[in-house]
Amino acid sequence: MKEEKYTSKYKWCTLVLVLTMTVLLIRLWDLQIMRGAEMRKLSEQNRIRVKKVIAARGIIYDRTGKVLADTRPSFNIYLTPEDIKDFSQTVDGLAQLLSCDREEIIEKMKAATGMPPSFPIKIKSDIPMDEVAKVEANRVYIPGISIQIEPKRNYPYAASFAHVIGYVSEISDEELKDKKKYKDYSPGDYIGKYGLERAYEKELRGTDGEKRVEVDAMGREIRTLDVIEPVPGHNLHLNMDLDLQLAADKALETRRGAAVALNPKTGGVLVLASRPGFDPNLFASGITKKDWQRIALDKAHPLQNRAIQGGYPPGSTFKILLALDALELGIINERTTYHCGGGFAYGNRVFKCWKKGGHGSVSVHRAIVESCDVFFYNVGLKLGVDRIHEIGNALGMGRLTGIDLPGEQKGLIPSTEWKRRRFNQPWYEGETVSVAIGQGAVWLTPIHLAMLSSFVANDGKNFKPHIVNRIVSTEGKVIKTFEPVVNAELKLKPGVLKIVKDGMRGVVNEPGGTAGASKVQNVLMSGKTGTAQAGSDKVKLGDHAWFIAYAPSEDASVAMSILVEHGLHGSSAAAPIAKGITETLFKVKSDIKEAKVHENR
Amino acid sequence: MRIDKRRFYHLDWYLILNGLILFGIGMMNLVSATSSFSSGSWNFIIKQFIAFTMGLGLMLVVMYYDYRMIANHSKYIYAGGIALVILVLIIGLAAGGARRWISIFGFSIQPSELMKPILVVFLANMLYDKKRQNIPLSLKDIAKPLFWTLLPFVLIVKQPDLGTGIVIILVSFAMLWYVGLKKSTYAVIFGVGAISPFFAWHYLMKPYQKMRVLSFINIDADPAGFGYHAKQAIIAVGSGKFLGKGFLNGTQHKLQFIPEHHTDFIFTVFSEEWGFIGSVVLFVLFISFINRCLKIATNAHDELGSIIAFGIASIFYVQFTINVMMAIHLAPVVGIPLPFISYGGSSLLVTLASVGLLLNISTRRYMF
Repeated sequence: MKEEKYTSKYKWCTLVLVLTMTVLLIRLWDLQIMRGAEMRKLSEQNRIRVKKVIAARGIIYDRTGKVLADTRPSFNIYLTPEDIKDFSQTVDGLAQLLSCDREEIIEKMKAATGMPPSFPIKIKSDIPMDEVAKVEANRVYIPGISIQIEPKRNYPYAASFAHVIGYVSEISDEELKDKKKYKDYSPGDYIGKYGLERAYEKELRGTDGEKRVEVDAMGREIRTLDVIEPVPGHNLHLNMDLDLQLAADKALETRRGAAVALNPKTGGVLVLASRPGFDPNLFASGITKKDWQRIALDKAHPLQNRAIQGGYPPGSTFKILLALDALELGIINERTTYHCGGGFAYGNRVFKCWKKGGHGSVSVHRAIVESCDVFFYNVGLKLGVDRIHEIGNALGMGRLTGIDLPGEQKGLIPSTEWKRRRFNQPWYEGETVSVAIGQGAVWLTPIHLAMLSSFVANDGKNFKPHIVNRIVSTEGKVIKTFEPVVNAELKLKPGVLKIVKDGMRGVVNEPGGTAGASKVQNVLMSGKTGTAQAGSDKVKLGDHAWFIAYAPSEDASVAMSILVEHGLHGSSAAAPIAKGITETLFKVKSDIKEAKVHENR
Repeated sequence: MRIDKRRFYHLDWYLILNGLILFGIGMMNLVSATSSFSSGSWNFIIKQFIAFTMGLGLMLVVMYYDYRMIANHSKYIYAGGIALVILVLIIGLAAGGARRWISIFGFSIQPSELMKPILVVFLANMLYDKKRQNIPLSLKDIAKPLFWTLLPFVLIVKQPDLGTGIVIILVSFAMLWYVGLKKSTYAVIFGVGAISPFFAWHYLMKPYQKMRVLSFINIDADPAGFGYHAKQAIIAVGSGKFLGKGFLNGTQHKLQFIPEHHTDFIFTVFSEEWGFIGSVVLFVLFISFINRCLKIATNAHDELGSIIAFGIASIFYVQFTINVMMAIHLAPVVGIPLPFISYGGSSLLVTLASVGLLLNISTRRYMF
């Protein structure tokens, strides 16, 4: 049935076919004949790939050379969607091998929507060796899967050093947008986000290298053509001591609080513990949403470094500052006594002493040993708030101490000037009474109080606290040594320090001393307890427990400050922690009696 | 089953031989294209061969029943096809962000592929009466066929499988042209055709699809993504030069520079290894195959057979042209397989079933 209507259509079709053929041939001629040589060259260049060689991040050591943070290889599983042949076979197979949910894998793949299908998606990070072996053995059956070896930051002591060392994590999109600051970074790079990892990012990171490799038909490297070697990051040697830190961290147990120990002669930070902590390893291997929410929403605020960020009224530990200043100015002397009847009337209010019956007539020595409030109400009023503010600031309290960690809090020792600026109100003398015993508007961090104890311990001189001792290259060349920087050096009148130091020794070692239970065998420790009211008058929370101390009492080698949130009494909650640190430092074995007490608890 | 001996003699051996040569080239090329996969080529060759055997079976079944009878039942076949396409949207297997497959008895099938010949038969059955009376189609006449085309089109584009959707639309229009259109109908179609790209750009296309179009216009617009792949595809083809690099010697696809090089970008593998000469031979084989389909359309016993054969011919033509043009950067990147050559069971199965339809029509050309 050849009809006209068909043949005309058929002619049109033939025309279209001829046209198509012509267009395709012209294009092919152009590509393969005219530009063939050029294209051939380009395809040969494709055999060569440039790969980034990630520089090893610097290792962090404690003062005895023990490793606190290093980098180890980790195995990560990737899935390339375009190489998947049979979707359910791959996903089910993978789920079985990695013993995870099929939904989990699908979730990860969904998160990568919008990426080209040739982009490998990270399915699981840091898988153990036995899973690596299983995946390798079954790779043939799960096309699209690949294992990448990538360096991973490793924190062997996990939460114990979390607040000092911090953590690294993949650079965020927001950070990458800041092209100026992060110009050397590209997506997927790791960057220090917290603690020393952040403060010393520049030194730790090193410089990534590059290598040009020839790849075979499978895309595997067969030959390295040339390499620009990566320059590993510098190592950090800290002033910190692993054993002391672990002892402090263990002593804090499940309580919320912080412990700081400084070397009074250099300002070197021996201990800087804050509880609760978190496991920085979680961040280094790409934190899961669930883990992040658990940490971020925890009411105990594990991400807060209480040692430098936690603000608390210093309580009776503050009396040391007043005693020093009052003695120095001659407002009181060794023999000056005040009568404590259990309370102090000022204005239309009675300020109580913690001891209900009162201490009777007390001198400065007994006022420190037994922590008499009334004595210091009198002293405080004589000094005035501005003098307290001045001397506190001079010692490094109520301002940034300059410790080499990000995020330090300034704290506050009030002054008339401050009150006028802040509230536009005059200062009332009655407020000075509260400040005299470390209450009221004053709030400080544990590191501030450590500055105070180290000032006394070192006979009127303290140093800027510093965690890193020196930066050393991988070849062992010292790049930089942090020499001690004097923070305050006051020429005090002879005898002033002796009076205060005798008092602090009495707190621990004399009968009636508030921290008598924390006496250390063979080593003389001096200290001062503090109990700070927490919350307002309406909401009564358990008091915060303070203890500042140094040991040995003469020629001290450690100055400490301990805080236990809602620990109630400095003597029972905080002082034993200082005792533990001292015992560890001087290798004193806890006597058996003490051990039994712990067991019974 | 009694097979009429006369029908055997009337089999279109030209078409069969031409198709077999294309399939043979496809299998050979697949060995090279899949050699770089960690699972090796065998896995693919075996799967493709199983699909071929099953396709032959399907082809025989399609040939056995008179195409007029098949067309009579096309309503139900069409309904079944639509049901599968809907099913895929609900329970389909996702890969690379698209739901295109459903799993039946351990086989993944792609219902959108099946939809192509089904729609051809369904539309032919709707239109052949008009063709017989030689009435050019008015706007009203094309409303119904267009509706039944747009239904699967929308469902398939939603998967998203834009490639198959485009094939369906183009084939449907080709068939309407083949039946004959009034001048006014032409005018409206061209009018709508001119504005629809703007509409699609603003309301229908997904960002990645727009990116493909942009990187087609300016190949360096997206050097890391689609533009990069398009560039690598051209490099593969161009580097084949006149004689090609030789069988198994292509490097572009083996080094994974080209995505989907065993499916949608298969032409780059062939052209890199067999050069200009090989490509010309492949083009001639395709053009000759399509021309043969058109011959069957012209010589068919009745209008129904003629329209079906023409519809099938246009499927082959559209797929061949767009696929090759995409590989050499004359068209934006869109997922359309090259018949006989690309890896993919559903595609091969449907190709063979279509050949079955063509043979069905050609063997019955002398029947009354």
